[in-house]
Amino acid sequence: MRQALISDDRVIDELKKAAAETLTIDVATIKADSSLVKDLGAESLDFLDINYRVEQAFSIKMARHFIIEHIEEMFGEGTALDADGRLTEKAVKLMKIRLDAAEDGSGFDSLEPGMDMDALPAMITIRSMAKGIMDILDTLPKDCPSCGKSAWKTENETHIVCGACGAEAVYKNGDDLIKEWLQKTQDEHKII
Amino acid sequence: MTPDMLKQDIGNGTIKSPRKVLVTGSSRGIGSAIATAFALSGADVAINFSKQGGRSEEQAKKLTAEIMAMGRNAVPVVGDISKKDSVKKLFSEAVEGLGGLDVLILNAARAPFKPIERLLERELRLLVETNYLGNIFCVQEALPYMERTPGHDKHIIFISSLGSRFYNPAYPLGSMKAAMEAVVRDLSETLSKRGIAVNAVSGGMVRTDSFKVLRQFIDGIERVPEALFVDPGEIADVVLFLCSPLSRGIRGQTIVVDRGLSNSLHRNA
Repeated sequence: MRQALISDDRVIDELKKAAAETLTIDVATIKADSSLVKDLGAESLDFLDINYRVEQAFSIKMARHFIIEHIEEMFGEGTALDADGRLTEKAVKLMKIRLDAAEDGSGFDSLEPGMDMDALPAMITIRSMAKGIMDILDTLPKDCPSCGKSAWKTENETHIVCGACGAEAVYKNGDDLIKEWLQKTQDEHKII
Repeated sequence: MTPDMLKQDIGNGTIKSPRKVLVTGSSRGIGSAIATAFALSGADVAINFSKQGGRSEEQAKKLTAEIMAMGRNAVPVVGDISKKDSVKKLFSEAVEGLGGLDVLILNAARAPFKPIERLLERELRLLVETNYLGNIFCVQEALPYMERTPGHDKHIIFISSLGSRFYNPAYPLGSMKAAMEAVVRDLSETLSKRGIAVNAVSGGMVRTDSFKVLRQFIDGIERVPEALFVDPGEIADVVLFLCSPLSRGIRGQTIVVDRGLSNSLHRNA
């Protein structure tokens, strides 16, 4: 349903715009497969600034923390990273399941146990980050929680509101989505 | 400093004191503003950034070029202050580039953004290693260089934040700032005998990169009146004042620069 209101291309374009504003670079130089760190020079604080711009554009809440941090918070310190800050086999298994589910693991091909956690941000591309935005937008409920009608429409190309009562769309936040996915995947695969 | 020394340093109300200054974490934000202010006042500056190959290196090099264009010497120096070996190298390169060290500005900071009770051991270590141990490593490394540098006007200034005194959501860095304000008092007592003055400046809300993070954790922060936001240059000016003979009566203190934000619990919306 969301795709009929905000297309995947629109999400990618909006993310490119956010990255260009944060990093003060020409949006035309950004490709869907550009690595935010390797190709565009982003640093950790830049990710949060890009998140903020995306949140303003789509009225959503992006994840504040990477999946690795969630794994360790949910299943215990040491489950995702060893004492030297390197990825564990279990963390890689979980992340690969997530990437397979996303049907686009581009950039994450070299993911393997023993990899330094600092190498992970370099794997994030515009496309993989956009997937996170789409996941959040896809939590748009069928009916408006305020009036119960199914009359969503788009305003300013990126904001979804109820065409019947005018209420703004409400989505799950990025961190909760990751945590839900991790719990479900753990229940199914018993990786940790 | 004696009154005679002071007279030498102040001419017609203008402080003229060539300085060699190292500002940790100065590729952007408050650190960059402080480095620029020192350069404008006639100092040579070492610009520190933590990682090679990222945007901070690019920004450090850009700032270096801007300072050189002012006719001052500037040296970009890479170094992660949480690692003692890295601190040794960064000071050695900075001092070699500047030809000495008069002033050390402790501005670098790095911290996770989440409530303290949720911090993992790794995150707690990062918090303490960068923001407490790292600053002390810098002071320890700086002292011999500062004492060997000719001159009598030596300063260490720590850049704190209101998080040392007030709660902010997901801001464990505040506890480290509080610890460092205590360190400043301590160092002020012990280092005054060695001719080094130590103080701190606590900035209020500043629209730097760190603020970009805070606005994701503090709902409604965007509604704070613009008049209460501090410009990085306002913090830099107080740092310059504290590094001048005019501040000779201030020792071991943390000066708050927040446009009065912390004066009142109540504000009209």
